[in-house]
Amino acid sequence: MSWKYDVVVVGAGIAGPIVARNVARAGFSVLLIDKKWAIGTPKQCAEGISIKVFEKYDIPYDKRFINREIYGAKLYSPSGYELEMRYKDVSGVILERKVFDKMLAYYAAKAGADVLARTEALDVIRKDGKVVGIKAKHEDEPVEIYADVIVAADGVESTIARKAGINTYAPPHEFDSSYEYEMLIEGFDPDLIHLWFGNEIAPRGYVWVFPKDEDRANVGIGINSDNPQTAKYYLDKWLKENNIPAKKLLEINVGVVPVGGFVKELVKDNVLVVGDAARQVNPMHGGGMAEAMEAGTIASKWIVKALEEENLSLLQNYTKEWWETDGKRLEKVLKVRRVTEKLTDEDLDLFIQILSGADAEKIAGGDYGEVIKALLKHPKVLLSSRRIKLLKELL
Amino acid sequence: MPEKIKIVVNEDRCYLCGGCAGVCPTLAIEVHSSGWEFLQDKCISCKICVNACPVGALSAEPLEVKA
Repeated sequence: MSWKYDVVVVGAGIAGPIVARNVARAGFSVLLIDKKWAIGTPKQCAEGISIKVFEKYDIPYDKRFINREIYGAKLYSPSGYELEMRYKDVSGVILERKVFDKMLAYYAAKAGADVLARTEALDVIRKDGKVVGIKAKHEDEPVEIYADVIVAADGVESTIARKAGINTYAPPHEFDSSYEYEMLIEGFDPDLIHLWFGNEIAPRGYVWVFPKDEDRANVGIGINSDNPQTAKYYLDKWLKENNIPAKKLLEINVGVVPVGGFVKELVKDNVLVVGDAARQVNPMHGGGMAEAMEAGTIASKWIVKALEEENLSLLQNYTKEWWETDGKRLEKVLKVRRVTEKLTDEDLDLFIQILSGADAEKIAGGDYGEVIKALLKHPKVLLSSRRIKLLKELL
Repeated sequence: MPEKIKIVVNEDRCYLCGGCAGVCPTLAIEVHSSGWEFLQDKCISCKICVNACPVGALSAEPLEVKA
């Protein structure tokens, strides 16, 4: 079988359906494929996302994929100091990705895109050295999909982007290994997300409890992927040490998250890479849904322009615009991550202790400069040249 | 020269998350919806995948070289 579309999108996670929807809305033919037989399942995600994305990316606020509204976060230091940031209004939600992803693909289909589950991209098709489409398999049937523009939204594996010659390599330290239970858990305020930090608790990362219900949550961990121990080892250890029974497990999720090393050249000729495949993830917290939506939005804008003006060289503007906007922001976040991963458990205890006594309103408002200034005023910080140096790197 | 190895998967532990394929510098691992596949000829014996697996489903075994 052989098909022809203006655009083919590989991967129906977050970025892929956004691209497919926007391109279809502009009137171009687009096919969105995913190797999964149920789009959205399994997920590699803790499912928390800012409330702002719904309006910003024109996604309906549909209760079918919103488990719970969240009003803030609570941070815990290694010795148990706490910092609570609670807002009056809903600040985020915990999604149900298996519904959310499917609905994003549904919005793309309604906008005019064709969508095919259980369709795995195997390789690119080249003609005179140029990528002209992809070889795929729908169930067991081989298909050739020809397209003017190919979008690799194929997740951390990034197979199609790499086969098309886009360099998506990132060193092992720039990935997190993650492991998560959806389980019944009690004793944590279900209106907040909860994050535990510490070099023994979660090296380079954190343990999270993201409530989906009063007594049900995603309980997970992310650690540096070059760690000799597994993410599962650290999560099970944390649960045991905190006497939290893991006897009511509804789901187990596993994944590797790119937390640095954003792809430099996001476009090669007529092939674009977006989302996890392009390593477009927040390096500090490992969340990548909002970043995928943003990249998908920029990518689709230039795909539409390139097709309208019949000038594929315009696609290069996606690389340019992304790096001038979200790329610039994420590079700063990456710098912060590289400083925070040097913090000792004593530093984390001290900083969280200081901040819990500081101007909570400013901290909750996300006034990052004020947070650093508050820390720099404290005598225990002032007496440590190492701590001053670390904090100044953050300013 | 590092020892030449092959990567083997414990299918009972593996979730087919694709992480190993993501960190592999040489596309030596493919994760299909129906299974995990190792491509010996592409492997450079770096073992990055073994460490990265969140559940420890991968291990490296010495590759028998024909004398």
